[in-house]
Amino acid sequence: MSFFIDSFLSAISLVVTLDPELFQVVRVSLRVSCISTLVAAVGGIPLGFFIAYGNIKGKRMVITLLNTMLAMPTVVIGLFVYAFISRRGVFGVFDLLYTQNAIIVGQVFLITPLIAALTIAAVSRIDERYSKTAKTLGANSLQTVLVILREAQFGICAAVISAFGRVVSEIGISMMLGGNIKGFTRTMTTAMALEYDKGSFTLAVALGLVLMSISLIMNVLFNFVQGRGRL
Amino acid sequence: MIQYELQQVTQQYNGKTVLNIKKLEIESGKIYGLLGANGAGKTTLFNILSFLEAPASGQVVFAGQSVFFGRTELHKLRRRVVMVDQYPIMFTTTVFKNIEFGLKIRGMTKERRQAVIDEALDMVDLAAYRGASAAELSGGETQRLALARALALSPEVMLCDEPTANVDVENQAVIRALLTRVNLETRCTILFTSHDRLQAAGLADETVVLEKGELVDTSYENIFSCSLESKGKGQKICLLQQKIPFSLPGFVPEAEGRDYRVYLNPDKIKLVQGGQQVQQRRGVLFGTINLMMAEGEKVRLIVNAGVMVTVLLPVDEYAQLRLAIGDAVTLKLKPDAVEWL
Repeated sequence: MSFFIDSFLSAISLVVTLDPELFQVVRVSLRVSCISTLVAAVGGIPLGFFIAYGNIKGKRMVITLLNTMLAMPTVVIGLFVYAFISRRGVFGVFDLLYTQNAIIVGQVFLITPLIAALTIAAVSRIDERYSKTAKTLGANSLQTVLVILREAQFGICAAVISAFGRVVSEIGISMMLGGNIKGFTRTMTTAMALEYDKGSFTLAVALGLVLMSISLIMNVLFNFVQGRGRL
Repeated sequence: MIQYELQQVTQQYNGKTVLNIKKLEIESGKIYGLLGANGAGKTTLFNILSFLEAPASGQVVFAGQSVFFGRTELHKLRRRVVMVDQYPIMFTTTVFKNIEFGLKIRGMTKERRQAVIDEALDMVDLAAYRGASAAELSGGETQRLALARALALSPEVMLCDEPTANVDVENQAVIRALLTRVNLETRCTILFTSHDRLQAAGLADETVVLEKGELVDTSYENIFSCSLESKGKGQKICLLQQKIPFSLPGFVPEAEGRDYRVYLNPDKIKLVQGGQQVQQRRGVLFGTINLMMAEGEKVRLIVNAGVMVTVLLPVDEYAQLRLAIGDAVTLKLKPDAVEWL
């Protein structure tokens, strides 16, 4: 027990003294997660809206497929993307493997279905009469879409926050596509796994504290956004 | 000027024809009441008139121009016609921004928008709620806001789907007065749907009645659901609204055990003072006068005979009878006063 308490106290010390190694890892993690969330949102929100609102054939099949992809293990996505971006892969010429961009690509694959599925749920809840009202007030197609997105904004924000929470805490993709290179592709989760392997718990616990703090902030934000949606 | 001209317009959903209008003309600057039971096709017709959906077939002429229901054309036409829903949807924002939406997308300047919104809010007596959230308004206030939002756009035509159906009596009067005022001041053509024949009579210049998707030449009153019961010797008793027994004159359908709809023509009902029910007599109902109102050359009487029956009497006949509210009366119907729908 004293071993754990010692590690915990040392971890707090690392956080308080703004340890450079710790903050380098946190910085890489946040950068990669923010970019992948942004890219996935740009793709996932319109995709979800189109599926929910569009009159497309096989809509149920597409939704089922998306929901299945939500349960996809990160290592499977890692393996799948690896096959494409490794030197022997189709996109090998871009030399992406073991870079932050590779992690971003993998994470985008991970959370785009999540954002799309949650956007579908958010948009589907919006009463059809919003669209009818907007049209009868003179809105064109784009303006009508914006009205619906505005009404679904809280649900869509919650989707993006959930997606960020998912990527910041994943390890499989970061490890397989990033390679856990110190100062370059080492993220909070991969660093924690490494420190655990080394039997050095101080940095792992410190990173755990930061990760949990981020999760807490995300959850507070999530509840705040959902609460506003209910007003 | 003719605002709308519909010819052979039909609408189908899943292969079922829900609207079939041979010919309908709506004159501009008038108030029209569109009457009909649930499922009669009122909302479908409104969706076509507001250019929200294209008819399956037929021709629609709007302000002298044939409508081809192309996307660009529809968008332009929708800016001339505004529909106010029975349960109006308010955007999740303030009262001000709800009205501002339509003005903003029309490219109106900020100063002009503010002036128009203030004027519209004054008109519906909601100026005090300018900055309030639209979600906080009551049902009647929401309906008034929906009207303000529509009026701010200065439409040529306003289509109001049951504008007073879900509001209290006070707000009903406010909305009726508002629609009349708007029509008088702006000559905006107003169409509204209603189940209430009396409300329509009080507000509309003309009424149009839909029955199972078709225009019918009745006044949408005295239409009752009924079932038939045998009374022996081949005689059948009709239960008006499944409760008031009435021995109908003339043709009576054979089949029992199913619901019918019957129309009693208010112009052809003969009214006699006095009388009380002793036994069933063919084509005779007894009741008391509940309401009387003058309508041009005629007087409309609502007689409580267990069901509310409307009778239209010429003014001179009314004067001879010297009727008063509460009087007991006998209603006599000949076969030509009854129509099975």
